[in-house]
Amino acid sequence: MSAAILDTPLATPRAAPVRLHTAFAVIAALAVGFAITALVSDAPVRAFLALITGALPDIRWSDAQGFEVRRLVRFGSVVEDAITLTFLGLAIAIPFRARQFSLGADGQMFLAALASAGVSLYMPGPWFVVLPLAFTAAIATGFVWGLVPGLLKARYSANEIVTTLMLNVIAIQFYRLLISEHLRDPNAGFLVTPVFPSAALLPGLMPHTNVSAMLFVVPFVVAAGWAFLMRTTLGYEIRTVGQAAPFARQVGMPVTRAVVLSMAVGGAFAALAGVHIGNALLKRLPVDLSPGLGFEGLVVALLARNDPKAVPLAAFLYAYLRTGAQAMERTTDVSREVVLVIQAFIILFVVSQRLLPAGWPRALLRRRGNTALKLEQA
Amino acid sequence: MSVETASLGMLVATIVVAVLRATTPILFAALGGLISDLTGSINVALEGLMLIAAFFGVIAAVHATSWFPGLPGWVYPWIGCIAAIAAALLATLLLAFFHLELGADLIVAGIAINILAAGLTVFLLASIVGDKGSTAGLHSPALPSIRIPGVDQFPILDMLLNGEGGRGHHVLIYLAFAAAPAGAFLLARTRYGMWMRAVGENPQAAAVAGIPVKRVRYAALLLSGLLAALGGVYLSMGYLTLFQADMTAGRGFLALAAIFLGARRPIGTLAAATLFGASSVLATRLGAIDIPTQVVYMIPPLFTLCALAFVGRRRGSLQRAAPF
Repeated sequence: MSAAILDTPLATPRAAPVRLHTAFAVIAALAVGFAITALVSDAPVRAFLALITGALPDIRWSDAQGFEVRRLVRFGSVVEDAITLTFLGLAIAIPFRARQFSLGADGQMFLAALASAGVSLYMPGPWFVVLPLAFTAAIATGFVWGLVPGLLKARYSANEIVTTLMLNVIAIQFYRLLISEHLRDPNAGFLVTPVFPSAALLPGLMPHTNVSAMLFVVPFVVAAGWAFLMRTTLGYEIRTVGQAAPFARQVGMPVTRAVVLSMAVGGAFAALAGVHIGNALLKRLPVDLSPGLGFEGLVVALLARNDPKAVPLAAFLYAYLRTGAQAMERTTDVSREVVLVIQAFIILFVVSQRLLPAGWPRALLRRRGNTALKLEQA
Repeated sequence: MSVETASLGMLVATIVVAVLRATTPILFAALGGLISDLTGSINVALEGLMLIAAFFGVIAAVHATSWFPGLPGWVYPWIGCIAAIAAALLATLLLAFFHLELGADLIVAGIAINILAAGLTVFLLASIVGDKGSTAGLHSPALPSIRIPGVDQFPILDMLLNGEGGRGHHVLIYLAFAAAPAGAFLLARTRYGMWMRAVGENPQAAAVAGIPVKRVRYAALLLSGLLAALGGVYLSMGYLTLFQADMTAGRGFLALAAIFLGARRPIGTLAAATLFGASSVLATRLGAIDIPTQVVYMIPPLFTLCALAFVGRRRGSLQRAAPF
């Protein structure tokens, strides 16, 4: 009964109600967030306005200066965040299409960032040698680390929620171990790798921000994710296994292989998020890179209904909220964790199948379909 | 008895006591998870429910002193305990409502509850205490320990029965190890337990036989929420006497692993929970030796993965895997 939520292929007539449902879910979740803010804050309206508008650039008109755009740094951080979240959303969405609840994006991202840092720090050469190698190392690492829970599930029927969470802990501890023992910069006052050489950095696009050439990579990655799912045999197998595993088995599809590879390919996409964080945003890796971004990938994937084409938009929306929350925390008495509450309710509302009352467009469309059918029969 | 055997016995007793303490929260959550799992509704939210209970227990116990002044001191922690259970049950009800009434996928909704718990506890912590890390600034009470008298002459026995310093074991440790046989009895010997297993086995058949499927699922989820809440209360009002952000540290997921590892049986789940408790004690013991802490933190998850693989090896392939 729950299979229908996690796959997306939506026939055109149903697409409009689904979009309505998603919009309703976001608005309802924001309303819950507002209610909780109102319980603890002295100025909930001001706080919520900061949350909603805090990420917007400030465009002003004055006679002397003409149009002036301010606060682009904040908008830049929305774009930076959206890029990372797009990769993580794809990383969660692809295993979801095979109905695998792989939550391993965090660990895959950390290890991939580490692999990319290794190449960036120790590989001399011009950028067109270093960068492709860094990407390759990261993607391979993410793929292999994603393969592990897949194999554990296929060979030993180990539940992937448990295994991916355990693997995350191992990966994050390994990351901390390697950075504090081997990759640390002895001249830095805290545990961090040396700054990557400029050949390993993605060139920046916006001054004062870390928006980088990775922005141009995003469309290709999204297209690759879409093409992988919709235009390859493996993608077809993954979708079929997710929608109807018994059917897939009956017609002789390699179900186990599809399950295993869906998780591994997800890992490869998570790896790109690691490269983005290391080689574009931070330009070095600190030991205390905070875990948990993988779960934000989950909300992005669900908002996009696991459709790769919709992932960037969902990522942008969520990045916008996150940046707004930071602005809210700085300017009001409400802490930014309220966004996690909103995130939880977005997920709950998005996956609720019977959320909108029966009289709403979906039923309307169905009725219209029925009348058409009756007319035909008559 | 020579001195060496005596000290060895003392060491063993100390370790056994530490394992009991580390097992208790995992065992509570695992028993709750087992009951809802056998009813066909896997509760992925155990982690978040524990966290919510741990938080509201401390906050309510501290604030109860100003809400109801003049009560005897031992009452306040119990008020906290009741508030903690109420809060966790409310969150469970949210999960059950979204799953059973609105048709939300139970696993995804459970993950959402975990995110909600992580966010809400830190959010309220910052709002109420003004600190995002912990309630260390508050003076929060613990639930009582039960001391068994009359064993002072036998140091090893005293250690086993009354723990370090002879203060006795925490009341929730006793309750956790009593809950295991009680849960087994409920599932195997009572009519409601049979209903639960019937609903988990084949909901359509159960409905035809006149079992109120939805009500049984609500009951099972709420029972799992209650047990997870007790695990959370133990963490913040027994194991430690404060709340820390993310203090459950994956114990709810270890509990899920314990259910699978224990082949979905009460005895197996108890054994698996004890194993996980032991692995965390081993990790802290190794922490005293000169190895990097990061390696120490890797031991329990690595252990869990190996255990899952070992059990799965006998159980077969994907075809007969867990039904999701």
